[in-house]
Amino acid sequence: MNKLTVHFTLNQQSIRLETLAARSLLDVLREDFALTGAKDSCGGDGECGACTILLDGEAVNACLVLISQVEGRHVLTIEGLTPDGSLHPIQNAYVQAGAIQCGYCTPGMVMATKALLDHTPQPDETQIREALAGNLCRCTGYTKIVQAVQFAATELHHDN
Amino acid sequence: MFDCEVNVAKSCTELTQILIEPSARILAGGTDILPGMRKNSIGKPITLIDVSQLNELSYIREHEGQIDIGALTTHSKLITSPLLLQHAPALIDACASIGSTQTRNRGTLGGNLCNASPAADSVPPLLCLEAVVTLSSHDNQRQVPLSDFIIGPGRTCLKQGEYLDHITFAVPQKHTGTSFMKLGRRNGMSIAVVSTSVLLRLDQQGNIEYARVAFGSAAPTPICSHHAEAALTGKTPSAQLFSEAAQAMRTDINPIDDLRASREYRLHSAGVLLQRALQTAWHQAEMDLR
Repeated sequence: MNKLTVHFTLNQQSIRLETLAARSLLDVLREDFALTGAKDSCGGDGECGACTILLDGEAVNACLVLISQVEGRHVLTIEGLTPDGSLHPIQNAYVQAGAIQCGYCTPGMVMATKALLDHTPQPDETQIREALAGNLCRCTGYTKIVQAVQFAATELHHDN
Repeated sequence: MFDCEVNVAKSCTELTQILIEPSARILAGGTDILPGMRKNSIGKPITLIDVSQLNELSYIREHEGQIDIGALTTHSKLITSPLLLQHAPALIDACASIGSTQTRNRGTLGGNLCNASPAADSVPPLLCLEAVVTLSSHDNQRQVPLSDFIIGPGRTCLKQGEYLDHITFAVPQKHTGTSFMKLGRRNGMSIAVVSTSVLLRLDQQGNIEYARVAFGSAAPTPICSHHAEAALTGKTPSAQLFSEAAQAMRTDINPIDDLRASREYRLHSAGVLLQRALQTAWHQAEMDLR
């Protein structure tokens, strides 16, 4: 298996990484950078959304991105949401709404929410459910997650 | 970790050189090939060719009455295209029904076609639009009707060393309506139990001048129903006519029993979907005074 060198931006930091080529971005984030917010839940099928990160501002499943494909791109993980590690308004909204139970899906949900609100600051419920359709939660029943996104939208709207 | 080599193509010329390698497989959005490799459902050995740097294959353009879509255009780009919203809303509806936001942000139109799934959502509307695919290799470029491109489940007529460059279709004439309907097990992330797409063009009197009807998940490949098309052409649109078309299409489709649905259920729902799709396309055609 061949190696390659990849240059990309990870949470605002420039990265130069020499690695085996046939690795997923998810494996690299978790194993090489100890960024374990993005989770593997479905075994790399792209079914569950627990590994959702932003690639050039768009929500993608990190398990379905090969490391070579991030050359020259911007990767944002949940660890990079705020510069000082404090809670982002979206994370706060999830806490306030009680949208977290076991927490395993939460980082993916939060990142999918971030992508949604960046593009659509005032989404309606249909848009929220559509944007989160690729993120599975087996605890909450989704109602509180939808509420969390609505809280976050209001909060971010007021901040602006 | 995947058990493969990865080559990065820096240009289309380089792509054609690397593609000569018999084990080479193109990695576009990766939403299908990577899960397939994890499940060992793809033959080995494989050298993946990463084409993510070929930005020149991502575009939606109109020129001389034709629309060209680059093979690496993502579903997310397609469904936000004002050009396609105006001329091919059925294609937008189809691509919007694929997977999740995460899938659509990565998955490409070229990938959906080359993957050649009987359930490929983008194919029925493109069949209705009589799309043509342009295939390129190091010394040749050829055009193939989409209906001849997909030859079986997971099989295309791509030759060794060839890649899908772009997809072309003519801008539909005035008084044309298109629609896409899909039945899945749930709303998000669903693979079609059955899907249908329709294109209807009306004449000045409001009769059906031209009809195209296609189905997904109803045969080994997405297919057109020429019997339904014949039943519609030259007739006055009505619920009765649409019901007759739904009967006529049963001779063209040949669905299977699988984990998502039975053959009988698919036959029945294909008829229901077709009638709804015809209604939608008809109303759209009546309002289409571009």
